[in-house]
Amino acid sequence: MTLTINGHPTDAAPRAGQCLRTFLRDQGWFGVKKGCDTGDCGACTVHVDGEPVHSCIFPAFRAKGREVRTIEGMRGADGLHPVQEAFIAAQGFQCGFCTPGMVMTTAALTQGQRADLPIALKGNICRCSGYRAVEDAVHGIAHTEQAPQDAPSCGVSLPDPANHAVVTGAVRYTMDVPVDDAAHLKILRSPHPHARIRAIDASGAYDVPGVIAVLTHADAPQACFSSARHEVSKDDPDDLRILDDVVRFVGQRVAAVVAESEGAAEEGCRRIKVDYEILPAVFDPEAAMAPGAPILHHKDPATSRIGAPERNVVGEVHGMLGDVEAGFAEADAIYEGNYASQRIQHGHLETLGSIGWLEADGTLSLRTSSQVPFLVRNALADVLSLDPALVRVACGRVGGGFGAKQEMLTEDIVALAVLKTGRKVKHEFTREEQFTAATCRHPVRVRVMLGARRDGTLTAMQIRVVSDAGAYGNHSVGTLFHGCNEVLQLYRCPNKKVDGFAAYTNTLPSGAFRGYGLSQTVFAMESALDELARTIGVDPFELRRLNVVRPGDAMRAYSDHPHDVEFGSYGLDQCLDLVEAALARDESVPPDGAEWATGQGMAAAMIDTIPPRGHFSDARVRLTEDGAFELTVGTVEFGNGTSTVHRQIAASVLATTPDKIRLVQGDTTQLGHDTGAFGSTGIVVAGLATERAARAMAERLLAEAAGAAGVAPEACHLEDGAVRAGATAVPLSALAAQAGGTITVEGHSTGSPRSVAFNVHGFKVAVNRGTGELRILKSVQAADAGRVLNPMQCRGQVEGGVAQALGAAMSENLRIGPDGVVETPNFRSYLMPRFVDIPRTEVLFADTYDRLGPFGAKSMSESPFNPVAPALANAVRDATGVRLTHPPFAPDTVHAALAASGAACE
Amino acid sequence: MEEARAAFLAVDGDASYISGGQSLVPALAMRLQAPAVLVDLSGIADLRGVELQGETLRIGALTRHADALTHPLIARHAPLLNAAAPFVAHPAIRNRGTLGGSVSLADPASEFPAMMLAMGAQMEIFGEDGFRRVPADDYFIDLYQTALEPGDILTALYVPSVGPHHRWAFDELARRRGDYAMVGAGILAHMDGALVESARIALFSVGSTPVRAPGAEAALAGRLLDAKTIADAQRALDDDLDPPDDEHIPAAMRRHLARVLLGRLLQRLGETP
Ligand SMILES: Cc1cc2nc3c(=O)[nH]c(=O)nc-3n(C[C@H](O)[C@H](O)[C@H](O)COP(=O)(O)OP(=O)(O)OC[C@H]3O[C@@H](n4cnc5c(N)ncnc54)[C@H](O)[C@@H]3O)c2cc1C
Ligand code: FES
Ligand code: FES
Repeated sequence: MTLTINGHPTDAAPRAGQCLRTFLRDQGWFGVKKGCDTGDCGACTVHVDGEPVHSCIFPAFRAKGREVRTIEGMRGADGLHPVQEAFIAAQGFQCGFCTPGMVMTTAALTQGQRADLPIALKGNICRCSGYRAVEDAVHGIAHTEQAPQDAPSCGVSLPDPANHAVVTGAVRYTMDVPVDDAAHLKILRSPHPHARIRAIDASGAYDVPGVIAVLTHADAPQACFSSARHEVSKDDPDDLRILDDVVRFVGQRVAAVVAESEGAAEEGCRRIKVDYEILPAVFDPEAAMAPGAPILHHKDPATSRIGAPERNVVGEVHGMLGDVEAGFAEADAIYEGNYASQRIQHGHLETLGSIGWLEADGTLSLRTSSQVPFLVRNALADVLSLDPALVRVACGRVGGGFGAKQEMLTEDIVALAVLKTGRKVKHEFTREEQFTAATCRHPVRVRVMLGARRDGTLTAMQIRVVSDAGAYGNHSVGTLFHGCNEVLQLYRCPNKKVDGFAAYTNTLPSGAFRGYGLSQTVFAMESALDELARTIGVDPFELRRLNVVRPGDAMRAYSDHPHDVEFGSYGLDQCLDLVEAALARDESVPPDGAEWATGQGMAAAMIDTIPPRGHFSDARVRLTEDGAFELTVGTVEFGNGTSTVHRQIAASVLATTPDKIRLVQGDTTQLGHDTGAFGSTGIVVAGLATERAARAMAERLLAEAAGAAGVAPEACHLEDGAVRAGATAVPLSALAAQAGGTITVEGHSTGSPRSVAFNVHGFKVAVNRGTGELRILKSVQAADAGRVLNPMQCRGQVEGGVAQALGAAMSENLRIGPDGVVETPNFRSYLMPRFVDIPRTEVLFADTYDRLGPFGAKSMSESPFNPVAPALANAVRDATGVRLTHPPFAPDTVHAALAASGAACE
Repeated sequence: MEEARAAFLAVDGDASYISGGQSLVPALAMRLQAPAVLVDLSGIADLRGVELQGETLRIGALTRHADALTHPLIARHAPLLNAAAPFVAHPAIRNRGTLGGSVSLADPASEFPAMMLAMGAQMEIFGEDGFRRVPADDYFIDLYQTALEPGDILTALYVPSVGPHHRWAFDELARRRGDYAMVGAGILAHMDGALVESARIALFSVGSTPVRAPGAEAALAGRLLDAKTIADAQRALDDDLDPPDDEHIPAAMRRHLARVLLGRLLQRLGETP
């Protein structure tokens, strides 16, 4: 058929049943993004004859004779489309994966539609930004600043260096490369929650034309590993095989089919016959730990590092400080309550996927969507017994992560398929697979007991935590420890006790999720503290002020073990004051009507700025022959903003502007090591390595210039493009030539000692007692991020974290039915916040300077999530008298809770 | 139309008609359906167009959701469709989705099918014996099951035009604004001042099909629309409904929400002059 795409007459035949999205991508228009397959996210929006449509549900054959415009066709002869300019000026994105769709939708809005964005942008999901930046872009409000010519650029809201590429669709994410020569891999997944595979008959699959290979457990190494990735790979239990002969959750891999087309691979999967021996399954973590429960992993605890396989316990934590019994005995008030946080999905808009191939020299190469390319390389080498030097892992821009990509969920099977077939192999998750076969946040139940004296002083704190690991251990031990740690460390109570368990169940494996175990315990603890404050009649802000740790205090959770966490700076006091003042000056008007009840609530949270036990980054700065700088870091960009800030840091040290620093990132062949972008380390670890490399370069340049000019190094200083040595300015290119062409220096950081960051959130809400509807009248968060290196981006991290947490608090719930089947496998049933759902959050920063972080900075990417759900529940409690303990607080849940306690009205 | 039917029947029904494709293509993408053949209805001119035929508005099946928002004849003569349209999907989906597709699919959570009931519309169907018309009250049979037989094509919706004495109201309660409703309803009433002469009430998301509320309608008929009448109608509504007791929204909750919603709509009906 013929059609016009971005003005180009095109003649191509769509495949039977093909949608316009994949058709356009086949033609090389990679700006058309895939976020789902069902019309729900808007990432694939294009214009057909001038009208926006979601190309994933537009049959390709219907484009015949039409004019199709994609993001690549938006720029005119005289430059970018005004909407593209506006998205640059406001930086209306983080990872940028939603941006092509946002721009296409926005460009087609009428004046009237612009006035009602909640409705007009209903079809476009952004997971990163919390929509404030998108709204500002639509309204033409600019936020980015220019780098000052004569002052360091740290502290300035510099734009993402990729902004132009993001808004024009030119930026390349994982799957945005031609794959004409690639074979496609699809997975046959288990329909049973627990079964042994007696036999697999793959002959039917081989009958399908185009099928190249079928991989089963017989092809997989016996070695077990963990899909979780950490610096110390032994942190996580080895309980997973690439393909196993026992399946432990609905959705687990049974076989993989490699074929010439996705269609053939899928048909191959359908033709495989599997003989299952059904095993008893268990879905509840408490039941799983009870005697007589079916055992998921019959493995040796010594080698697998599973805590107690015979009790389905992945790991446990027990500890006590002081004497809690005595603490409760001494209390004037005791509160006890049960809380449960649900399973939620990360919802990064770019689904997981990788492309693998063999280089001519035998190197196994992978292009993947990962937060941890170096750790994935190490794991592949381990599991497949390969020489790490012959494994290369590299990333394009990554379309969001939130912890989900600190996991090896596609790379292992792709690598195995490449090694088996010798072919280039592509494997990309569908959105449904994201919900049924990726990981989720751990569902966690927490029992909290608190004791306090009449004046509000805490005398005892005790928690019992039960975390649902799902079928594989991966991050369960780490999240359990982390979840039991800062939540208690934050308060200076002499008597504390923890009992925590992570248990296997026959459900989707839980994994790393923004907050890493803390969001669930913080929800319980901060809700409980609110109840306690009410019982003894102390204001919730005062209760925090009375009890929180202060510089000089030992930060202890439940043991006396020495640790490397220090107060690099302390801004919690400011955060509490800022939120309290913001709530007090708020003048929002509650909705009319007697059925509306209003109230306010707050919660606080603390987080260690770096994961424990080492987080390593190398950084390299190279002065090239032409006098320019090249900065190489291991960290990838997935919307966290490090590519901007790393250049800001280097430029600030090297007395130049960030645009003169070329960045190379996320490729294992380019650098020694980088633990990865998780645990909020992109700035405090990789950024510190960058600062150190830049300082080494500065020193070297001064020494070189001093030598050349015959003066002392102290008489020299850096200028933009040169070193001033006394009266002469020696150009950088001359210094490079003098040093033999280029100068290369490295910097290194180890992630220790660590600091702490703080977040305090406040809400004012109105609750409809007739319908359970919850309206947010005011939302404010104060953060202690140390010195804020890029205010616009840091605010974005807070807004995005708040938005994601509001989804978790109000609507998201990855439900698994009684048969172990995920009941919410798409965006239609799994309710991520849209524009309409997210109120503006006032973001305030404490004024502190962290002596441990680069240029005074702390991390600020996971932590904004943590205080949101409890602050909301506390506000609802204030409004209605009803304590909500099980998010999400959807209208039906809220109404049921109101009705149960007689607080509802007709 | 003959040709489309023939193409459909030629593969023993292993075919799907496609109109806007906004429900069908997601179902294909989710592998919930895999017909051998798609029969594209979009080239059939007789399925297009909106025209007034005497006291009845003929809305071609291919009329898009977006037209329900903007078409002056729909706004004037079938205002309930106009009122419901903003609640249906997103702008980009409304550019493609058709009224005929929505009514053919008959999703029990959908807005437009229920409005066919509220408006007392008739569905025109082209089938084995040529054209026939089925009143909305007889059209919705069970979950995704309508008077359409395999191979039948829904060709047009015939909607009685509203007159000066009609008042209408539409709303829904969703978990999240813009989502499929937990409960939704539309009302079309013939009124003389504050006196309700007759009313048609249709609800959706309360069972396996959209439903009328005969009890509540009777409680309104011939009564002044005051607080007492509203309360009576709300009470009567309880017997009209038999919502499923699904785990996520218990039946009692849906009943409660339906009562709240009916109360709001009747209140609004009383306020609009
Ligand atoms: C993201 C998203 C959100 C949505 N939200 C809503 C919502 O809030 N409320 C809502 O009501 N709907 C919603 N929808 C569904 C949308 O409105 C559909 O477009 C509509 O229900 C079906 O219309 P269609 O023209 O696209 O039908 P198609 O998808 O083309 O067809 C649907 C079914 O009807 C059959 N069919 C179509 N036309 C005919 C005909 N003339 N005769 C016989 N059979 C026919 C097809 O064979 C198919 O089985 C949503 C869809 C999407 C993608
Ligand atoms: S990819 Fe088309 S709407 Fe999500
Ligand atoms: S920036 Fe919108 S999804 Fe990442």
